[in-house]
Amino acid sequence: MTSIAIVGTGQTVHARRRVDVSQAGLAREAAIEALNDANLTMDDIDAVVVASGPAMFGSVNQPEKWLVDALGARYKPVVRVTSGGGTGLAGALQAINQIKAGLARRVLVVAYDKLSEGALQASISTLYDPFWGREFAVGIMGFSAAYWRARMDRLGHTEEAAAMVAVKNRKNAMLNPKAHVKKEVTVEEVLASKPLCWPIKVLDVPPISDGACAVILAAEGDAETITNTPAWIRGMAYYAEADNGPNRSMLQSEPLKTAAARVYRNAGVTNPRRQFDVAELQEPYTCFELSYYEGLGLCAEGEAAELIASGATQMTGDIPVNPSGGCMGANPIGATALIRLAEAAMQVTGKAGAHQIKGAELALVQAGGGWANLRGVAVVGSSKD
Amino acid sequence: MTTTPETMDFKNFQIAMPYTLTAGHAVGSFLAELAHQRIIGARCAKCDTVRVPAQDFCGDCGGESNEFVVVPPTGTLTAWTVTDQGIIGLIALDGTSVPLLHQVITATPSDLQVGMRVKATWAAEPVGAMMDLAGFVSAPDAPVAQVEPAVDLSSPIEQLDYRMELDYEHAYGHFYGTLFDGIKNSRRIRGVRCPSCRNVLLPPRPMCEACYVPTGDWIDLPDTGIVQACSVVHIEFVGQRIPPPYVYAEIVLEGSSTRLIHTVGGLSAEEARSGAVRPGTRVKAVWSDRRTGGLSDIDYFEVVADHE
Ligand SMILES: [Zn+2]
Ligand SMILES: [Zn+2]
Repeated sequence: MTSIAIVGTGQTVHARRRVDVSQAGLAREAAIEALNDANLTMDDIDAVVVASGPAMFGSVNQPEKWLVDALGARYKPVVRVTSGGGTGLAGALQAINQIKAGLARRVLVVAYDKLSEGALQASISTLYDPFWGREFAVGIMGFSAAYWRARMDRLGHTEEAAAMVAVKNRKNAMLNPKAHVKKEVTVEEVLASKPLCWPIKVLDVPPISDGACAVILAAEGDAETITNTPAWIRGMAYYAEADNGPNRSMLQSEPLKTAAARVYRNAGVTNPRRQFDVAELQEPYTCFELSYYEGLGLCAEGEAAELIASGATQMTGDIPVNPSGGCMGANPIGATALIRLAEAAMQVTGKAGAHQIKGAELALVQAGGGWANLRGVAVVGSSKD
Repeated sequence: MTTTPETMDFKNFQIAMPYTLTAGHAVGSFLAELAHQRIIGARCAKCDTVRVPAQDFCGDCGGESNEFVVVPPTGTLTAWTVTDQGIIGLIALDGTSVPLLHQVITATPSDLQVGMRVKATWAAEPVGAMMDLAGFVSAPDAPVAQVEPAVDLSSPIEQLDYRMELDYEHAYGHFYGTLFDGIKNSRRIRGVRCPSCRNVLLPPRPMCEACYVPTGDWIDLPDTGIVQACSVVHIEFVGQRIPPPYVYAEIVLEGSSTRLIHTVGGLSAEEARSGAVRPGTRVKAVWSDRRTGGLSDIDYFEVVADHE
């Protein structure tokens, strides 16, 4: 099977509101940065995958048609992928499948959302069945807070433990030039912050951002000629669940466990805590990062609070999680998952600058869409195997 | 196909949302200059094409269209169609490379011809939007003009307000129709049993997604259940249907194996946070006077003693 590598990455300047660019201009900015990073032009690109959140976020349906001109992608194969918060990783997986199928050798993935333009919670609430719960939905926040509350009782994911995630990620974001929220907080400040959907409080929640990310993936053979530092995809998978199936406790994300098992098998990972040098996890709320520690096998079930308290997931710990600051630094939803992948690639190629984990060779990526419905995992390494 | 006669057919649902759209530098400049009755285009520095409205990038070559030009208000009609709301035409403005889609205003549509000369007509009161350029009218004698360099441009319009309202008619179908008919008319909550795993599924559905077999018997469920998870909603947002604070809850009715999404009421936010409702709390439906055939026929669930 052809090996595939990330050969270029780009991110916009993320902001709460970018009034200087349109949605298309935002996507273009990230694409140009990725092309420059790879020292390529659009002439070198065989196919384009556009990834963005629900059309309702920006009121433009089929935005990929608008992006064709903005990206200089006329007469190239262009498709759009959308899968909620996991959109960016789902887009990268689509690019990988095209390369594996022999349809393309160099694929540009551009992921973006311009969340300043629409009504976020109302848009997300439409992922509920219109007959069954939509009138009570609060985006995914009501749901996420509810199951965090359940995990407190059953798994010990306390408000203090989640607050430590906020403290860590917001501190890490200080070192990331692309993060737009740069403000350190303390556990006490998080705990005292205003409840939005208790137990979720303002400081457990990432910013709402305008931003884009682009990644160029290339087949083995091309990858090494494009760059001296390809970031090899060692595994990637994206799984769904039976949302309203019987007897679901929702304490762990089933699709996350399925995706992780498959990707770990492909990448030869048997001891994730020891083998990974760094992880980039998509944490739309702090409580999710705790849950993912367990779902990804970084600790046993019920030990997430202990793991964060131990300092192991700090920049200086043995398994640093979100040195970029994760979603807490910027959260342009459609782009967020691809940002996690791009950050992982930057880590294993030594390009992460001030938030570089020294000598990182193997990185874990997690992303997801819906509440716990769709979960993706990827492993990125500095070597092919 | 006809719908099952004993059930309701459709539920009306509207998605209505406000937007603040960002035009970007070029389109923002174009919109701002319409107030001065100037049409702004952009010339691609790389391939020399001129597009209008001005764009921040060139679709032909992918380059940056970095030179703004003033486009003459005259051009040629290249295509049109007559609609209920008026005539939509493609107008090749003089000196540009890509036709502009806009309104053609005429009392006599039968006189329209491909290739006819037209000129811009302007709204009396500009508002900073596309329709400040009201449309194009016949101008048989308008000479062919040239684009000119754009000087003294107004600052671009950064954001435009927009509103989207989408009306839906969601079909109930047999299973939801039977459930919500029962809720509306007889306050019965009915699920279906999977013949394989014996779980009772609510809302009812044709297949059990765990076993992937067709479901079987209809089962009446009580309006009491156990809170599986709950949170206290304080946030306010566009489109919210209940004024906060309230308790969002996922409830498993007794005898059911799936979650019903609703609210728990009759207690304050402080009581909810301090454990008056928590995973494992037993609750009972408080029925409304409304009979709409939806979950909102239940006002909320209230906390009841474990063995009431
Ligand atoms: Zn050009
Ligand atoms: Zn079954």
